[in-house]
Formats: sequence, C-alpha cells, structure tokens
Amino acid sequence: MKRKRRTEALSAALLLAPFMAAYALFFLLPAVQTLYLSLTESSLTRTSAFVGLANYDTLIHDPSFWSSLGNTFHFSLLTVIPLTALGLVMALLVDHFTGGGKRAGSWLQGAFFLPYVLPISVMTLIADWMLQPSSGIVNRLLGIQRAWFSDLDWAMPVVAIATIWWTVGFNMLMFLAGLRNIPREQYEAAALDGARGFAVFRHITWPALLPVTITALVLQLIASLKVFGQTYIMTTGGPFNTTRVTLHYMYETAFTQSDAGYAAAVAMAFMAVVVALGLLQAVLLRKRK
Amino acid sequence: MAQADVQVVQMWTLLSGGDGARMRALIDGFNAAQNEVRVESTTLRWGEPFYTKLITASVAGAGPDLATIHLSRLPNLAGGGVLRPVTAAELEAAGLRGADFLPRQWARSQYEGRAYAVPLDMHPLVLYYNKDLAGQAGLLDAGGRLKPIVGMDALTNAFRAVKERTGKDGMTMEAAQSTYAIWRLWLSLLAQQGHPVVEGGRFAYGAAGERTLAAIASWFRAGYARAGQDYPASTSQFMAGNAGFMINGVWEVPELVRGTRAGTIRFKYGIAPLPQLYGNASTWADSHGFAIPASEGRPMRPEKLRAVLKFVAYVSQHSFGWAEGGHIPAYRPVAESAAVRALMPNAEYAAAAANVVYDPPGWYMGAAGPLEAIASKFLPAPLAGQLTPADALRRFESEAQRLLKKRPPRY
Repeated sequence: MKRKRRTEALSAALLLAPFMAAYALFFLLPAVQTLYLSLTESSLTRTSAFVGLANYDTLIHDPSFWSSLGNTFHFSLLTVIPLTALGLVMALLVDHFTGGGKRAGSWLQGAFFLPYVLPISVMTLIADWMLQPSSGIVNRLLGIQRAWFSDLDWAMPVVAIATIWWTVGFNMLMFLAGLRNIPREQYEAAALDGARGFAVFRHITWPALLPVTITALVLQLIASLKVFGQTYIMTTGGPFNTTRVTLHYMYETAFTQSDAGYAAAVAMAFMAVVVALGLLQAVLLRKRK
Repeated sequence: MAQADVQVVQMWTLLSGGDGARMRALIDGFNAAQNEVRVESTTLRWGEPFYTKLITASVAGAGPDLATIHLSRLPNLAGGGVLRPVTAAELEAAGLRGADFLPRQWARSQYEGRAYAVPLDMHPLVLYYNKDLAGQAGLLDAGGRLKPIVGMDALTNAFRAVKERTGKDGMTMEAAQSTYAIWRLWLSLLAQQGHPVVEGGRFAYGAAGERTLAAIASWFRAGYARAGQDYPASTSQFMAGNAGFMINGVWEVPELVRGTRAGTIRFKYGIAPLPQLYGNASTWADSHGFAIPASEGRPMRPEKLRAVLKFVAYVSQHSFGWAEGGHIPAYRPVAESAAVRALMPNAEYAAAAANVVYDPPGWYMGAAGPLEAIASKFLPAPLAGQLTPADALRRFESEAQRLLKKRPPRY
C-alpha cells in the first residue's frame, strides 16, 4: 500500500515537472529578475547600480505614471461591463436560434466570433480605415469630418468600442458553454410550472450563469487593465497622453528612454494593482453569490 | 576570385520611400562594380523601433556590420557604447579623409575626439511653394520666384494672401499628434532668436518658446492650415495643388520631381530656404551617416572592416545619386562639384546649408530620440486648440524633466 502511494507521488511529480519547470523558467524567474531590476539603475541591457527604492520614490511623485494609471482605469471602465453584458446577450441570441431545426445560431456564432481571430494589427487597421477623418465610412455615414483618434472626447471611447467589437466573441463562447451546461430538465420543469419569457431567464438561466459571469468579469478586468496594443497602434497614446495606458508608459520608459530600472518599477507597481483589483473583485462578487 | 572570398556586409537602414530606392540603387551599383564585397541591406521601420533594435542587437553582439544613423543620435549611440570608432588610418586605407567632408557634418560625426560615423548628407527644413497659387496671391517676382519673405508677419501674410485670393489653404505641414515636424520648426525658430532648447541640463527657451509656438499655432487657428493632418495627408495636400506652401524636409524633392515627370503634379513648384522670421535664418537640419555597431564581444575582423569602408567610400564618391534625393551631400568632392551645384531643384535651396542648426548635443536628443518623442506629443496640441501654448510647454517640461536629470545610459 505504502509502496503504491510512493509510486503515485512519483508519477504525479513526474507529470507536474514539465509544467513546473516551464512556470519557473518563464514566469517566476523573470518576475524575480524584474523585481531586482526595479531596484537598480539600468539601461536597456546593462545594470549600472543598486539604488534601493529610489525608482519607487520617483514613481510615487511621477504625474505621468498616475495619469497613465487613470487612463487604464478609464479604458477598463468603458470595456469590462459592456463586454460581459454584450457577451451574454450574444450567447442568448445564438442559443435562441440553435436547435429544433434552426440553423441561424451557428451562423450568428460564427459572425460574433470572427473578429476575435483577427490579429491586433488587422483589427486596428480596419478600425483605422473606418474612422479616417475624410474618407472613413463612419464619418461618411454621419456626415461629419471628425479625427476620432485625436479627438479629446472620443479617442478613448473609440479604442474601447473597437476593443469590444474585437474581443466580445470570446465572452460569448464562455456564456454559451455555460448555457449549454444548464440541464434541460430545469427548463422543462419550469415550463410545466407555467414559467415563461423573462421569468425563466431570471430564475433559471441567470442563477446558473452567475459563476460564468463572475469568471468573465474577473478575466475581463485583468485583460482590460493589460491593454496596450490597441492604444499604442490606434492613438499612440494621444492626444497628448490622454490614452496612454500604464503598459504603454512602461514601454516608453524602457525602450524610448532606455530606463529599464524605472520601467521595471512601473511594472511591479502595476502588477500589484492588477492582483489587488482582481482579488478584490473576485471576493466581492463571490460574497454576493 | 573564389566565391568563398567574397565578404558579405550586412547593413541595416531606416531609409524608406525615395531614400530607400536611392540607397538600393547605390548598393546595386556597388555590388555590380566589383566582386570582392557584397552588401546586403535590410530596411527597418524608421524611428524609435530602429534605434531600439540597433542598440539591443549591438550590445548583444548581434548587430549588423554597418548601419545608417542620424548624426543627431550620435551622442546617444557613441556615448552609450553602441558604435565602434573608426580611426583615421582605417579611413585612409579606404581612401577617405576627414577633410573630404563638409566640416559641420564631420564635426557632428565625432564624439569625444573620435570619429564614430562617416557623414552622408544633410537634410534641412525648406519652404516648398506652389508657383500657380503663390503667383495668384502676388507673392512671386518677375522671374517667377518667391519674393523674399522676412519676418513672422510677412510669412503669415503670405499664407493669408493665398487663402484669400485662391481659396486654397495657405500652407500645409505634418501636424497630427505624435509628429516631429512642429518640433523641428519650433527648434529652428528658437535658434533664429538665439535660444537653445536645452542648455546646461535645463530648458533654456524661456518666454520665446511660448511666443513661437503661439505664432505657429496661429496659422492653424486662423484657418490658413489644417491641424491634425498626418504626414501622408499633408504632403498629398501639397502634391494635389491644394496648398500654397509646405514646410517640410528636402526629402520630398524626389516625389515632386517624379510627379512632375509623370504628369501627376500639374503645377509649377519652387523651393526656398526656410525664411528668416526672427533675428537670423537658422534652420533645423539633420544628417544621415554610416556607422559600425560595436557588436560587443564580436569585434570586427580587419578584412570585414576593409569591406565595409570600401562600400562607404563608394557611396561617398557616388553621392551625386544621393543628392538627387534632395539631400545635400557631405562628401566635398561631390558636394562642391559643378554637377551638384547645377542640380535642380536642389540649387534653389542650397543656401539653407549655411544656416543649419542641429539638435543640441545631449543623450536624449536627436531623431526619434527620447526628448523629441515627448515633444511630439505636446507641441501639436495648441495647433488644434486642444491646449494653450503655455499649457503644452508646461506639460512637455513636466514629462521631460526626468530625462534631463538622468545620467546618459551606457548600453
């Protein structure tokens, strides 16, 4: 018996080893290195001096860092809830048009999911074409000549809308999976009891989907906080830094200004913010359940 | 000669468009002219990505054998240990001497007394004008050339005259967010008033900075020019005949020559040096140069070095082809030749060379450098009325302050 347990432990360790090794090599080690880097004065490739917490001291008094953090929250505010809600609505639509001889569902599912497979460069290119000041289709339809990406009021919302269009397909798939996990018997029982329409959604579908919703919100918040490519390509952080998010600021300090030590401090501070928010959100949402 | 003896030189350039095509022609000419060296060039994206890649590759020992750089970045690259110095003896072996190059460009290739680049050209800002529109606005002399414009008011009046008499925009220039042209013009006009942007690690432009930026912005606010246009939009506005003037670097010359030849440009154009708007006629310029990455831990073999410099000497001696791209060659035997002096339209703005100012030295200066990148975010904002000139400069300084305080990075 004892011997069997030992073999089990051994095979478990063996099976886990590749993952643990990869995790240590590609996550833990770089994370520790970044932490160390943030305590030094470093250029892009060379560490010149250990400076303790000096980079963090600079960070606290750096208006550029705080404004970039504000912009990151602004983007998250504009995307997290719409992306989750829209994903749910789309999943319900697809589900509604599926089964019982209806084939529109899979067509809808494909249409909703398609943008998600685009690389970011293609997505931003399409958005850029559509939003060109003089030739873009959006301005043509509206009969105006707005330079959306350099418009103070519109730059961030436009990036958010493009992001929602691009990524909402994934949330839809998550909700769809959740929907299909709800036992059909529950709906049949509810139907026998005379429940219909919104009542079915409120008392059966919605409670069953709550765990998926929580997961979607948490994942979406983390994804939105990590926004970089969209603003980098579409607005380059402008007009005058009003759409420059924290990762973009980190990129600028590391690569344009060759200040890797400071960029590492930005990265560590930002990681702390993301982890804290993710945990807080998960705890709050679980409690309500 | 056996195939194995051919030295292959890997070169990275940031030259695209007309410049890229011309450099390609020079490389092809060199490769065809002899069979000991073959140059293979890779064109990378202009600007910050190019320099980041050059810096990291060189430090990792994986840099190319040769790179084209902007001389304005030399203090940053040479001071950071990215480039390998070239001695006078090494140059001489390739048939080049420092005295062969125009003094200003040669001086810009030095760092702490050593040469880190071989200058190729100089490209100042100039004033392009549409002769049809400027003529209608009464701005040309009997010979069809632009009447002298002196002073900020005179230039503003010229823009206004075009707008009022022709209905077309007075001028066009790149002015969207994150564009460098406004910084270059601003730098020129501050130099015309004798103010450096940075001196002794501090911003030194004072009240002139705000005044000058406000004057530039006034052209846009008054409707003589369009704010928010990016580079392609601004040049095509001029090429399509929809603007009286264009402030841009000389690198748009080939496009005008080509367009005229192909019949796509249906107006006569002229080019003048940037006018004297304040105390003198200073004009921003930069230069391309050839530099050898240090590629740490992988020092260049002597035969490779000879091959590299042989190519550099060839391009210098054949830089007439480069001059056709609008640039002013740095190699004196070509720059001072009758052929280049007679080259049109270059001859129209050749006088600008006497008044050029480069970015002041500093590790953060130069083309697509850290300071320029920050300036490019804030300086265009007053043109669109998004910030007041004072506010734009305050934000620029607040963000750039950290750079000025930082020690120059050693890569």
